[in-house]
Amino acid sequence: MAQEFPYLGHGIGLRPPHYAEVVASPPPAVDWFEVITENFMVAGGNPRHVLRQVRAHYPIVLHGVSLSIGSVDPIDETYLTGLAALAAETEPAWISDHLCWSSFGGHTGHDLWPLPFTEEALAHVVARIQMVQERLRRRILIENVSSYLELAHSTLSEWEFLTEVARRADCGLLLDVNNIFVSARNHGFEAAQFLAGVPVDRVKQIHLAGHRDEGTHLLDTHDHPVCDGVWALYRAAVQRFGAVSTIIERDDDIPPLAEVIAESRQAAAIEAEVLAHGR
Amino acid sequence: MAGERRHGAGANVPFPGTPLADVQSQLYDLITAPEGAAKRLKELGRAPSDLETIVRSSGQLSAVERVDVYANMYFFRILEVLADEYAKIVTLMGADAFHNLVTDYLLACRPAHPSLREVGARLPGFLAQHPLAEDRPWLSELARLERLRLELFDGPDAEALTLDAVRALPPDALPELALRAVPCHATLRTEYAIAPLWRALEKGRAERVEEDDTPGDPAKVAETILIWRQQFTVFHRVVDPDEVLCLPLLRDGATFAAVCEQVLGDAPAETAAQRAFELLARWLGDGLLIA
Repeated sequence: MAQEFPYLGHGIGLRPPHYAEVVASPPPAVDWFEVITENFMVAGGNPRHVLRQVRAHYPIVLHGVSLSIGSVDPIDETYLTGLAALAAETEPAWISDHLCWSSFGGHTGHDLWPLPFTEEALAHVVARIQMVQERLRRRILIENVSSYLELAHSTLSEWEFLTEVARRADCGLLLDVNNIFVSARNHGFEAAQFLAGVPVDRVKQIHLAGHRDEGTHLLDTHDHPVCDGVWALYRAAVQRFGAVSTIIERDDDIPPLAEVIAESRQAAAIEAEVLAHGR
Repeated sequence: MAGERRHGAGANVPFPGTPLADVQSQLYDLITAPEGAAKRLKELGRAPSDLETIVRSSGQLSAVERVDVYANMYFFRILEVLADEYAKIVTLMGADAFHNLVTDYLLACRPAHPSLREVGARLPGFLAQHPLAEDRPWLSELARLERLRLELFDGPDAEALTLDAVRALPPDALPELALRAVPCHATLRTEYAIAPLWRALEKGRAERVEEDDTPGDPAKVAETILIWRQQFTVFHRVVDPDEVLCLPLLRDGATFAAVCEQVLGDAPAETAAQRAFELLARWLGDGLLIA
């Protein structure tokens, strides 16, 4: 049986502008690819062709944006069926989605809306993750999101909530270091405190990305290279969590593939340096 | 319909209740309100400060401004996707009118599918009823073509029948050759000459024609457009009248003899056979037939 959450090294998020180059021969020097699940939940055509080609050469991970695990709406069974079918076909190393809600009243928002960090929300999310894991017959990873508002009646910190979700649902965590950086600035907490509050054994993947400074808040735009502050936080994350599979995300103003790969190699170099000097 | 407003199911739930469902109901209602959270709160008879019972203000942003960050992302993310999907409609309507169209569309046809790709599925039908298209009824036909091309882009795969495979058949096998169109095809019946308009818009885009020089209105000439995907490229073309009659046969599956019979009509048998061969060659060249 394949190892659960194997260490994959340093990869990138697969995006359409890079499809042609990624499937060209020889395949680019990337350890692995994370793919946006919904982009490939289609019948056929080029997206599925590209995915088959990529999977033939690399490990992949399915990263969803529509599970809406925190919504009070019922879990979308059709979506879950499609996800299970895609997973059966592509054999991803793992499946992940976000700790958020993105649908209400049968309608979808196509965004990652923040949850209140309460016992009620915790019980709700845990039950739904357990249901999804049973349905998919595997544990999943849940990612912390960037947020621009805080619910007034939260009784837990975000990291306390995230930790309890992982512990009670017995799922893994996808730690988005950029999202921690963004939310820390937007809500005035210490990013280091977030890292320190997350259990080492639950973190199975890390996201790195760029963001935009809007003056009044940071926006998780994925349209810039990783900034120095996020690199520093990544260094601290490696010191705490050790070698963790990591990718670079870029979703807007997407540069040539080589530039994204270079950022991925930079992450690998930081990890190697930190580990060489002892954590 | 333009001007109509629909809001989340829980719009009348009072703020003091903070169970998860109430919070999500209130936030969904405010985030998807077309003119922002402050305007929506006013409609509900509430002060902006009321929102602070569920959303904390920060040192930089009030509770309303924080909700509006999400409201803007909701609208502009979808607007961007739809503008990309309906690029030719944007060219003809202009960005401002398209923005207004999407505002009305999102009120009437709220996204209900996990994939952003499906957000625009109902736009052509909505556009057909919208005042912005009242004097340009062909806009919705053009939108239908844009949508069908998108849907076929990642529609089901099928191996296409090749001319070489047909040539390899013994001559007496040809009449019974089963012809069936690949699943990744569609036909669109229009009341206006949409295909020439499409070509003109493509030419304009290629030549970077200014917005003021967009093509004129299409002639009111009905056409049937065949849209299909060959390998990974989506094509469309106007179909001749006799081919229109054959396409349902291909959709359901028919023999070449049945196609010849359909083409025959009042024409001499030899002419009909010649025409049927022409059509067969074209379909094979297009990759329209399933192997």
